[in-house]
Amino acid sequence: MATPNPSDPSARSLRQLVLGRDPARDLSDNEQELPPDLMTVNMGPSHPAMHGTVRIVLTVDGERVVAGDVQPGYLHRCFEKESEHATYTQVFPYTDRLNYVSPMINNCGWAMAVEKLMGLTDRIPKRAEYVRVIVSEMSRMTDHLTCVGASAMELGAFAVFLFFLKGREWLYELLEKVSGARLTHSYVRIGGVGKDLPPNFHADLTLCLDQIEKVLVEGEGLLNNNKIFRDRMAGIGAMSKEVAIATGCVGPIARACGVDYDVRKDYPYSIYPEVEFDVPVGTTGDCLDRYLVRLEELKQSMRILRQCLKQIPDGPVMVDDPRVALPPKAATYNTIESMIRHFKHIMDGIKVPAGEAYTFVEGGNGELGFFIVADGTGRPYKAYVRSPSFVHLSTAERLIHGHLIADVVPIFGMINMIGGECDK
Amino acid sequence: MTDVSKPTTPPQPAVSAGGPPAQTGAPPAAAPADADHVSLTIDGMSVSVKKGTNVLEAARSLGIDISAFCYHPGLPIVAQCRQCLVSIEKNPKLQPSCQQIVGEGMVVHTTDAASTLARKQLLEFTLLNHPIDCPICDKAGECTLQRLYFENDNADSRVDVPKVHKAKVVDLGPTVVLDQERCILCSRCIRACDATSGKHQLDFAHRGDHEVLTTPPGEQLDNPYSLNTVDVCPVGALTSKDFRFTMRAWELEATPSVCNGCATGCNVEIHHRNGRAWRLVPRHNPDVNSYWMCDEGRFTYHALREDRLAGTVVDGLPASWDRAVRVAADHLANQVGSGGAIGVVLSAQHSNEDNFALAKLAKLWGVATVYVAAKPPVADRADGRLRVADVNPNSAGVAEIAKGLGLQTAAVEDLAAGIKTVIMLGDILPGVDDDRLAQLDVIAIATHERGPVKHAKVAFPASAWAEISGTVTNNKGHVQRMHAAFAPPGQALPAWEAIVRLAQASPTTAGKLAFAHAREVFTDMTKSVAAWGALTWARDARPLALRFAGSRG
Repeated sequence: MATPNPSDPSARSLRQLVLGRDPARDLSDNEQELPPDLMTVNMGPSHPAMHGTVRIVLTVDGERVVAGDVQPGYLHRCFEKESEHATYTQVFPYTDRLNYVSPMINNCGWAMAVEKLMGLTDRIPKRAEYVRVIVSEMSRMTDHLTCVGASAMELGAFAVFLFFLKGREWLYELLEKVSGARLTHSYVRIGGVGKDLPPNFHADLTLCLDQIEKVLVEGEGLLNNNKIFRDRMAGIGAMSKEVAIATGCVGPIARACGVDYDVRKDYPYSIYPEVEFDVPVGTTGDCLDRYLVRLEELKQSMRILRQCLKQIPDGPVMVDDPRVALPPKAATYNTIESMIRHFKHIMDGIKVPAGEAYTFVEGGNGELGFFIVADGTGRPYKAYVRSPSFVHLSTAERLIHGHLIADVVPIFGMINMIGGECDK
Repeated sequence: MTDVSKPTTPPQPAVSAGGPPAQTGAPPAAAPADADHVSLTIDGMSVSVKKGTNVLEAARSLGIDISAFCYHPGLPIVAQCRQCLVSIEKNPKLQPSCQQIVGEGMVVHTTDAASTLARKQLLEFTLLNHPIDCPICDKAGECTLQRLYFENDNADSRVDVPKVHKAKVVDLGPTVVLDQERCILCSRCIRACDATSGKHQLDFAHRGDHEVLTTPPGEQLDNPYSLNTVDVCPVGALTSKDFRFTMRAWELEATPSVCNGCATGCNVEIHHRNGRAWRLVPRHNPDVNSYWMCDEGRFTYHALREDRLAGTVVDGLPASWDRAVRVAADHLANQVGSGGAIGVVLSAQHSNEDNFALAKLAKLWGVATVYVAAKPPVADRADGRLRVADVNPNSAGVAEIAKGLGLQTAAVEDLAAGIKTVIMLGDILPGVDDDRLAQLDVIAIATHERGPVKHAKVAFPASAWAEISGTVTNNKGHVQRMHAAFAPPGQALPAWEAIVRLAQASPTTAGKLAFAHAREVFTDMTKSVAAWGALTWARDARPLALRFAGSRG
């Protein structure tokens, strides 16, 4: 090999200028081959395909993943500890930030746990229960639309992402009309919901559902029989039913593996017994089945929503109990009784009798549980959240093992880890 | 969690959370039945209490908190508010439980329909003309009316006529302002004024919904215990001029301590936030101050932020702790080495720990006589109640420590003529005139920069009473514990720590005075001072955030 004269600038390649050396010239033939030993590659914590912020330290043999060390915790916000310093009502904004793609369901779960402690569960007005189910199912749809759309984008189907997020935005706009906030709704209250549905809600939601139906047709047409999509999803990240149960998987992931478990059916709460819907169950437990289960759940949610719109009764949306219901603003400003009650609710918090309670709801990612220990004051003594994302993330290492680095992306996308919920 | 106290002193709660502690009566529920005790049943639970106890206290000993406005365990009973009505079997009418003395075999119901209704109706009645002031009321958050309404009534208003209006700002005297609209006419303040000061300066005038609290014509509420009326007021009718509109009650944190205003040593809670005290309120101690304290004592917290010495000073210029310690230690070592006399001045204004550390250092130097700096007595302060002439919190403690270590004591004004160097605790050298002071090299360990501290050769900043864990000894010999509420200003350290640093910096005393915590000073002290041999150090009390204590009412 001819050695270039280092003092001659014209003989230096661009590589030499940038790297300080030119591998094509400076290395021997042996050195230019890929090293045969294992390599460590960081995926995340800031990586476009790492939803939220999570880091996977991959050990790879060439392109193949030999081991993956999954390290969550970058979004830890001390949800459980912070709750001890907030009144029961002040915790709602914190729950918004758990699974921030479906905050309404988190709101409902927390409210139900507190209501169980207070013995209010059977006294929630019917209309409030319907409103809760309506906003919960809308949230489930935003959750699944995001998950499916984002995963499709990561496999190159950018149009699908735009279509699905367009549909999600319609739902967000509607939820904003309901609650006042696009993303962090804080809409549900202990004993009911913050305020009644806005005028014209029925027509708005019906129109929204009709349009989303069209979006789903478009999206499915682009994905379901798409060779690239199927090749990247089918057979990738498969998990058996037994493993799913042993690791505590719930929600769409467990159902894709053939576990027929849905809290709404198996431990019915609220008005779910009054509506008809099916629980889709997969067979292979791979990424494609997780995708299909989520698509079907989107359709089932729309089915529930349409029934709710028909069945929802008129009436109050807040339980008639001065222990939990804030007095109307006019009364607060004009009578001392309501002023005191308002003051005590806001400053001391709703007094919850001592005891402990666990309630669980079907969240976007599966069973979402809240465990509260109450000491009789206005603030939780201890709070714990059973977040499905945290459990599901624990299976990630098992699922990516043996696959290519590129497969980490769809597997991780279909686990649908939500940082806020996983890291609490 | 008792305070450090004489073994004979019964334990007191460090923080009186959740209403006043049970009165002197009310023994534990399991007390044996004997001639002094009667048994009764309250809400199905049987309890045995001392003869003469009232039903309300008997219920409180069972954990049943009967609602009441006018009842206060430290005041005469008048049964005026009717809020504590209960049903007693074989008695045709509801009885006020505060006035009803327990009887053998009595069966009391507090949750039956009749007494529940009475409670609700009385609360509705009390709120009839109550102004809608919670957002601007100083009592909000610690208001008994708020608490009792929320717990016992919680019903909507049924009033459809205008409220009766009365005077909103009535200047009762130099310390207290009255809002007559908020007043619920419980008469607690009238009785508290009588009981604490012996002067009848408050009373009711007019009748019905025109009835108001007022001072007699030509009179003012100007006795030295006037602010106790604010403490006992269950609503925001009486407010302290010193505290009103400065801080919301629920934003504060409470740390138990002892007032350093005089030798009585009233037990107090320091209510503080963000590193400063906002008010002092008395803490119940039947052996010292009952439920009360004087106004002068309440205002002592202001001095915690005035003229404070916050950094070390050498020859009038700021210096680091290390340099100041070296300069002082070298100077003192030269004096000791050359046989010159050092004047060691203990302070009746400082804690037992601070004085013990300095006295022990004096002993190591071979000093036989220590001087005691104390504020001169104020004779007209003594009134046979809480206020005494001695305005030093720790005169008794200093004397006891000197005795325990075998040191002679003398007043500072008798400072021996040969003394050229003085190491002093505190900021006063009473009786030492300016000429003499000009000839002295003063090494001061002081909380405030005033008096001789201004001219000191070396001045060390010390933590004040609200900023330290320590003890003071009151005029009855009770060794009482203070807890640190917040951090001292600037580079200040506890005085005993400055003394330890001084001792460590000198080869003759290094290693002989090595304390790392006030607890270690205290433990060593109990070994030297025979009278305190049985005392133990209580755990540091953590501040109680009033926000989390609910409305203590």
